[in-house]
Amino acid sequence: MRCPQRRAVGAGLVAASLALALTGRATAHGGSLSADDSRALAVPLWLFLSTGGGVVGVSFLLTSFVTDRELLRAVRERRRDVVLPSGVRRWLAICARAIGLLGLAAVLVVGVVGPAAPLSNLAVLVVWVGWWAGFTMTTYLVGNAWPAFNPWRVALPLRERLPAPDWRLPERVGSWPAVAGLLAFIWLEVVSPLAGDPRLLAGVVGAYSALAVAGGFAFGEEWFERVDPISRVFASFGAVAPVYRDAGGSLGLRVPGTGLESPDLVRDASDVAFVVALLWVTTYDGLVATPPWRGFATAIVGAGVPAAVLYPVALLAGFGVFLAIYRVAVSRGRRDAESYRDPLELANRFAPSLLAIAAGYHVAHYLGYFIELSPALLGALSAPLAPPAPVAVVLPPWFSVVSLGFVLLGHLGAIWVAHAVAYDLFPSRMQAVRSQYALTAAMVFYTMTSLWIVSRPYAAPPFV
Amino acid sequence: MPEHTTPPEPAEPSASSGPPYDCPYCDRAFHRESYLALHRGQTHPDDLTDAERQAFETARDEEEEALRLFRLQALAALVFIYFGFLLVYAFSL
Repeated sequence: MRCPQRRAVGAGLVAASLALALTGRATAHGGSLSADDSRALAVPLWLFLSTGGGVVGVSFLLTSFVTDRELLRAVRERRRDVVLPSGVRRWLAICARAIGLLGLAAVLVVGVVGPAAPLSNLAVLVVWVGWWAGFTMTTYLVGNAWPAFNPWRVALPLRERLPAPDWRLPERVGSWPAVAGLLAFIWLEVVSPLAGDPRLLAGVVGAYSALAVAGGFAFGEEWFERVDPISRVFASFGAVAPVYRDAGGSLGLRVPGTGLESPDLVRDASDVAFVVALLWVTTYDGLVATPPWRGFATAIVGAGVPAAVLYPVALLAGFGVFLAIYRVAVSRGRRDAESYRDPLELANRFAPSLLAIAAGYHVAHYLGYFIELSPALLGALSAPLAPPAPVAVVLPPWFSVVSLGFVLLGHLGAIWVAHAVAYDLFPSRMQAVRSQYALTAAMVFYTMTSLWIVSRPYAAPPFV
Repeated sequence: MPEHTTPPEPAEPSASSGPPYDCPYCDRAFHRESYLALHRGQTHPDDLTDAERQAFETARDEEEEALRLFRLQALAALVFIYFGFLLVYAFSL
């Protein structure tokens, strides 16, 4: 029993060092996550991309050396209880709810009456820097605390006190409303100056608040589970995190990422679509800010297609492509593994591994942004209506390597999770290995796509 | 390859001669007799007959053999990728 374990640990070490060596090499030249970095790559683009793809392929090969079922099970089931006195928990819950409500009120008020310059306005800084960059990072790095902070959940206690309609969503609707909501959000974020116009931001947040409170009041908990895309994003990211809440409500600690191996995280095709959408929207967000997109959009709009049609169509088409690639990869893997399992079941089980990739992309995109703008956020918090001149932290050039390191870490996590899930699904370990060929190819594709986007200089999206 | 070597005793005499091979203890089906044998050994270890236990052990040995071959192939692929990249980088920088 000792020997395979030692071998696994050795393989892990080799994986980490080789991967670091390879990406360190590539990203030292290729990374350009910081906005103004438009210099040409020191290595040819094809080499940069194939290095990224190669690292994912290599991590698959190295993970496949871990063939000890007991070890995989031990990693998954390594759990620890976190015991908080119930008084402390109640107090924390009250604080979190107060912070959530106060934050929402501040965004609505300061967005309307505060300074018009986005980097001096508390609403813009709280929403984009504090919440969408900072808070989101805590959901996968620590644990999903959004149900405690979520200000719109005040609808739930209201529902118990007032006569509320007891509406139910039909079963077949699944999580499709959340998928549509997530895509709609990203579309709005890309085509409108939501990040630069505090008045518009306050209006959108206000409208969404009204909708979310009404929805929570009418549908109860179901609204936040199947319709509200924000709650779903944080719940999905929370599955990556080490701190979790079990069915009984008590807190526990687990190895980060192992929550993704759970069989009931993704329940049906709409949940799969949500996970893929989460992966796709980050890509889309980056894609529309590249010079090739600018060229493409200019040509298409020049040919007579309205820009208002182009953006949503591209969003849906790309989502369709990502989803189709995932589906094809799973059914191909099923054939390679000679399995009689239901393809839908396999799609459900392997989909959560993509969440590790999505979390890695999120860190890569937002960690630098968060650090750069956090002094501005602190300044605005200290004096919401008359903030001091915004200060930005200047990040050292090696920081882009750190960011790409997180992309890589996300991929390694995804490969590990898919490997462990395959061992759980198939009786033969050779079936498990074969089932991963197509999925690994899909992951290589996702990596190369996002590395290509990351290596392009920034160009503001045209026609918006 | 293991799929051509039939286990010494058919574990379940009533099992049909071709795929799918159905598990007698649950509703799962398998494309190969060796997969079925592995599944029975892993999922229903307490219900096995002697013949099934024998089939499980044979299948496990064969699986170990296939894995050993796969590890060698994976190692070769790793060496190839590593030196491939090393050479390409040496020439492109």
